[in-house]
Amino acid sequence: MAERRLHNLEPGALLALAALPTLFMTSMQVRADEPTAGQVRSFISCPVYRDTDAGRKSGCWLANDTSNGVQYDITPGRIKPLLGRQVLVEGIVSAKDAGLCGGTVLEPVRVSVLDAVCKEYSIPAEGFPGRRFVLPARLLQPTSVPRQLPPPPYTTRDYTIFFELNNDFLLYQYAETIIEDIALYTRASHPRRVVITGYAATIGYDVSGQRVAEKLDIAHARAAMVAEALERLGVPRKLLELKSQGEPQRNAPTDEGLIEPAKRRAKVEVVL
Amino acid sequence: MPDFRRDFAGALLIACIGTAVAGAAPQQIEGHIEAEGKQAARVPVAPDAANATVYASDTWWQAGDGQEFPGRAVFANSSGALAILRSGAPLATQGHPFFTALGTNGRACVTCHQPADGMSVSTQTIQKRWEDTQGQDPLFAAVDGSNCPHLPQLQRTSHSLLLDRGLFRVFRPWPPKAADGSTIDPEFTLEVVRDPTGCNLHPQYGVHSTNPMVSVYRRPRPVANVKYLTAVGFPFEPKNGLPLPLDPETGEPTSGNLMADARNRTLKSQAVEASRVHLQASANPTEAQLGQILDFEATVYSAQGQDRWGGVLTEAGAQGGPETLAALPAGELQGGPRPIWSEFASWGKLASASGAGNEEQRLFRESVARGANVFANKTFLIRDAAGLTSIGFGNPVRNACAFCHNMLRTGMDVAPGQVDLGTTNEPFANAAPELPLFKLTCKPQYRSHPHLGRVVYTQDPGYALTTGKCRDIGKITIQQMRGLAARAPYFSNGSAKTLRDLVDFYDRRYGIGYTEQEKQDLVNLMSVL
Repeated sequence: MAERRLHNLEPGALLALAALPTLFMTSMQVRADEPTAGQVRSFISCPVYRDTDAGRKSGCWLANDTSNGVQYDITPGRIKPLLGRQVLVEGIVSAKDAGLCGGTVLEPVRVSVLDAVCKEYSIPAEGFPGRRFVLPARLLQPTSVPRQLPPPPYTTRDYTIFFELNNDFLLYQYAETIIEDIALYTRASHPRRVVITGYAATIGYDVSGQRVAEKLDIAHARAAMVAEALERLGVPRKLLELKSQGEPQRNAPTDEGLIEPAKRRAKVEVVL
Repeated sequence: MPDFRRDFAGALLIACIGTAVAGAAPQQIEGHIEAEGKQAARVPVAPDAANATVYASDTWWQAGDGQEFPGRAVFANSSGALAILRSGAPLATQGHPFFTALGTNGRACVTCHQPADGMSVSTQTIQKRWEDTQGQDPLFAAVDGSNCPHLPQLQRTSHSLLLDRGLFRVFRPWPPKAADGSTIDPEFTLEVVRDPTGCNLHPQYGVHSTNPMVSVYRRPRPVANVKYLTAVGFPFEPKNGLPLPLDPETGEPTSGNLMADARNRTLKSQAVEASRVHLQASANPTEAQLGQILDFEATVYSAQGQDRWGGVLTEAGAQGGPETLAALPAGELQGGPRPIWSEFASWGKLASASGAGNEEQRLFRESVARGANVFANKTFLIRDAAGLTSIGFGNPVRNACAFCHNMLRTGMDVAPGQVDLGTTNEPFANAAPELPLFKLTCKPQYRSHPHLGRVVYTQDPGYALTTGKCRDIGKITIQQMRGLAARAPYFSNGSAKTLRDLVDFYDRRYGIGYTEQEKQDLVNLMSVL
């Protein structure tokens, strides 16, 4: 499979790929650690952009796991990489066809953009069709669409928002739909308080020879960011109670089966 | 959206009534205005400025001249003619605060928001005004109509940025002020690398003065089609990762689309700041005056109405001109069956349509329609545009002009926020030795700029002067695109003298590779907006 991927590349592109330090490998090495569906893979890499030109937001994002030389398609991530910046990739190997972008598909996959810079690398479509952009299943609607309050019965309810490593940014068309859900539920249920707990992966784990961990400050920043968002959507500040916590995190959820990315989150409890 | 804001807005409104007698209540005013007003108050005005001689001009609107603001007016420009529409009856402007010198320097709002210039002011008009008045018009007031107040006034070189680039001095508190007036601890340090105007290092006006200010230089935005500027089409600012900022007076969401650096969330706050700073008023306008200004602004629509090649812009099925802007709702997202600038779609089918006019006219109209199609559909790789390529879409991301310019009829951004197009940040900004250059260094405890690293050189820090955040360096609020032919130059820093310069900037910046025909089609499109 890996050999077929390499042979699909134009000779020029193959030479260029070989120039990347991350891609020094042999086909024997690849076969020795062929990814299988369901495996969790975590690695740090330099992203490669494949310009498939299949319409708006259609490009492919690839990243090479230097531990086994496998090139992964990380396009399904909520966050797309930035060329020239290392990424932390955490995902589950999918059985989906690699023919769209030219890499073993990781899905679900979480991508975090790191501060470390690396070589920018962009390649042409090379026959790969890419992925046409599709709107997320849940989409924040324009203000012209009337909002409906959730119907009773109302009970104490939890919401979880996941974050990129070392980041408190509320992501477009992901976090904002959850934030709006919380605001609407709060409006409908008249809770006694809304407890926002920001979490940070303060112990972390080793990835590609590096320790991936967060400072506790980011836990508070996440809680504060969610609080600011809720207040802007009309939740009174006096209802909001902010907490922050590092590791260990008991009863932590997973993010679609991924454990480590789920430690970087905020939990919102609407307490009746 | 049902929420708690209405209850609080009511309480806030009641609280404000008691303090509205002598001027806008302090809690309604953005925190930066007091400091800026303090500097403005210390800048001398020309002797007897408030009673300056009125110099006749064909189209110049002098503060306090008492003309009636018409229901519809047409002003010739190099591309044809701009049309100004006021909904409602013609307005008697005598004593109206938009047209009256409220401050000490003889300016009114209309001084920098001229009807003939699409409610902005072009360099052509500025230069003519200089010639007509030998620089004595209040337009050239030392406070911001000169490169810096300490320079000898009435000399052309002291006003070169206004005369050559249409730029007024905008001075922002350093460190930045939050909306509540508290001081923001910025994520970056700021050094003045180049100070050609002398203002940023001046002991009275600069960053080391007792009232520290950063001076940047910007174009005045049009006061027209404001329902589009204030439209709340989407509840979040995706570029900032938060719901829309709230109006401190009403508690309702604001559009996020006002001012180049979003320093004022509401038109009311903008009017207060303009009065205190640009007009050098010693006190805030009264609530009644603010009400009159806002009421007037809400009624004015501006768009090109006629083109010298294309003829009347409502012919052959086109929907140009200000009437369409006035009639249709604001804040609608383009796309699908309604791509942006579909007002001119009918001009793409003229070969078989009646009313095509002469051949020259038909060719021009077809070019406009092609330009609209290029604008909406020709994709390219957008790179290093913080606020766009740094919020999850990836860098680069493939899209078209309409990715950002997506609000039907004005080309603003429905999901608002600020973007770094590269007009002010190096290495993408056009060389401009006449403008200041700042070195901004992100402090170690904060994330660096998403694309430009820890040290950013910029001619204008833009939105970062409002937020103090590294990721906001050089971000500028996306502007409306109507009345362009009447108000050159373009971009917030006037770096594009012509519409062709504007297209060429994008072509270079993003390596688009427009053909000559596509460039001309885009220029023709923008000239009829």
